[in-house]
Amino acid sequence: MQPSPLANPLATVAQLETSSSQLDGVPQDLENSIRFAGAQITQAAGILLRLPQEVIAQAVIVFVRFWIGSEGGSLAEFGCEQVSAASLYLTTKLSAYPKSPRNIINVYAYISTLTSLHPPTDPPGPDTYYVSEGTYQTRRATLFATEQRILQTLGFNVHVSLPYTLCITYLQALDVFSHPRAPELAKRAVAYLNTALLSPQLLYLTHQPSSIATAAIYLAAKETGIKMPDVEWWEVFDTGREELGFLVVGLLSVESFAEEERAKWEGRTVPISVEELEAEMRRRDGGE
Amino acid sequence: MASRWADDDVDKAEDLRRKKEKEEKKRLKFQRQQAEQAAAAREREMESRPAKRRRFSDNAASQEVIPKEPPAERTLLCFEGGGWGPCRHVSNFETLNNIEEGSYGWVSRAREISTGSVVALKKIKMDYQRQDGFPITALREITILQRARHKNIVSLHEVLSGSDPSEVVLVMEFLEHDLKTLQEDMPEPFLASEIKTLLKQLTSALSFLHSNHILHRDLKTSNILLSNHGHLKIADFGMARYIPPPNARLTQLVVTLWYRAPELLLGTDQYSTEIDMWSLGCIFGELLLKEPILQGKNEVDELSRIFALCGLPTDRNWPGFWRLPNAKGLKIPRDSGAKSGGVIRTKFPFLTNVGADLLMSLLSPNPEHRPTADEVLDHMYFREQPKPKPMEMFPTFPSKAGQEKRRTRSPNAPKRGQAPGMQNVDFSGIFANREEEQAGAGFQLRVA
Repeated sequence: MQPSPLANPLATVAQLETSSSQLDGVPQDLENSIRFAGAQITQAAGILLRLPQEVIAQAVIVFVRFWIGSEGGSLAEFGCEQVSAASLYLTTKLSAYPKSPRNIINVYAYISTLTSLHPPTDPPGPDTYYVSEGTYQTRRATLFATEQRILQTLGFNVHVSLPYTLCITYLQALDVFSHPRAPELAKRAVAYLNTALLSPQLLYLTHQPSSIATAAIYLAAKETGIKMPDVEWWEVFDTGREELGFLVVGLLSVESFAEEERAKWEGRTVPISVEELEAEMRRRDGGE
Repeated sequence: MASRWADDDVDKAEDLRRKKEKEEKKRLKFQRQQAEQAAAAREREMESRPAKRRRFSDNAASQEVIPKEPPAERTLLCFEGGGWGPCRHVSNFETLNNIEEGSYGWVSRAREISTGSVVALKKIKMDYQRQDGFPITALREITILQRARHKNIVSLHEVLSGSDPSEVVLVMEFLEHDLKTLQEDMPEPFLASEIKTLLKQLTSALSFLHSNHILHRDLKTSNILLSNHGHLKIADFGMARYIPPPNARLTQLVVTLWYRAPELLLGTDQYSTEIDMWSLGCIFGELLLKEPILQGKNEVDELSRIFALCGLPTDRNWPGFWRLPNAKGLKIPRDSGAKSGGVIRTKFPFLTNVGADLLMSLLSPNPEHRPTADEVLDHMYFREQPKPKPMEMFPTFPSKAGQEKRRTRSPNAPKRGQAPGMQNVDFSGIFANREEEQAGAGFQLRVA
């Protein structure tokens, strides 16, 4: 049967329960922090590479898919930065905006010199993110090897359906654009779609794009005070009341999660390589 | 011991249920009758007292009388997207025999050890210099095959990985024949009705691909598989890609030479579905003649054969011709008149007029004149006698794919890299000897 072009493969319950990293002894909160940081790095790198948000979103989802399940990738084996780079490289290759390994490696070298992405700090100086030819060769080899591992871990399921265009279509179907403040509503809805990419509940791996788009519209309408039809309009977009409620709570919780993360890692950096992770685990063991 | 057919509790329950159902039906019927009677009474009442105000209150009353239906349970569409898991290892399959080696990789027939089902394995060649990581062509083939599920497109079951990380094997359904080898072994070409069945299946696959924005870019008989039940499927998507946004530059190094459209030979970098339609025309002709119709030795020879068969481009039938990159180096007699027309009609004497019309339109040198896949499906050719042969009636042939390795080779799809240009080629010789040919052709009807 032809799979619906609107649907995404979803993670199974077993895949959500255990991750390869947990089996390797990485605490779950640390795993969540690293995954959150990795998604943000992917987003930042995509912006620096001047990629459209659709391509970046695909890369983030591929990145998140990689870590799921006991047969997924483990943080004890792969640094999150290296997987983020490979996801972005792989996704751009299949898109209409291919980027060379050189571009990707330079951008990630630049990002690694920043102490914080929010707000972005000024890098210490150009010489700190210069990539020498030798470094380039090793990093490129790592990039290709990681790319291969992502493909094999996902069984080549790298296609991602996105809710962005769906969201616009739904807004049109709801006849929202006649409203004077419609642009505000649309902006908020798209912002929620981007928020969902960073969700610790992995909303893109547990819900279909149609439901995520509906929940984003619901929240955006609530926030901007624009009235939606007085019926259960979300059912028209194949989303049940229960699913909508779950998504709304999930989307709203990202903000507090992000603030907690910021407070937690104040003055420190999230371990984004295998070595940094090992150091962090040793530090935790010593502290306890 | 109680007989199987004796009444027991279950039967009793069943009887009870039936009785209840009957009663329920009776009750409903009675209710309906009552409602009808009430409605009729009201109508009579209204007729006797034609006051408009009454009618409104009447309506309200009737709404009260009819019991409200409980809100129906709405079922929501549920999208099935599947899941994912890591690639299985190649050792889950045992190879039975090799089928073919091409530019893209090695194909073999294999059996899945746990289920015993026979599949085709395609091992991807990963030999090029690893400048770009995982080969984009293989990646495109896999992602396109994952999305393109159609009854006339070979289905991709899964992707396997080997012990060596760079080993990637596609598991696809096994079909007994490919059209090229099959035709080579057949003493006679396919019948007209069989050709229609094949062409129809091929065109419907093409229509599906094009409507999903996929270009195949390497259609040829060796990439077309046929099952023993007359079921045709397109394979080998190594050259395929999604149609890019307009004005994007595409490589001209696509499609095997004998099936390559003239605009590609002339170096265009903007093309679309028409190049697949040209290949379809070549395959149509090949099915009729049982051999490839345009067997050029190189790009120049191929182009000269195309012009010899389909006629020379003129300002009238192909205005954009001279703007193509490689056209400037060509010397083509302008206005050579009637003798430069195509010879498709004479080369396919057994084809009906309608069939010849379809073939000629598919083999129009000007890409704008070629029909789309949907237009081909609607063509009279498929409706006139003989009708397409039902697939159940299709003849079966001994399968070669299992028994021996292929020896003959047709040219491969072009490699990535620099495209050869075309400088100063003289085509004026093609029609130089046509008068003599015709004079020497023997029997001719002369109209006085």
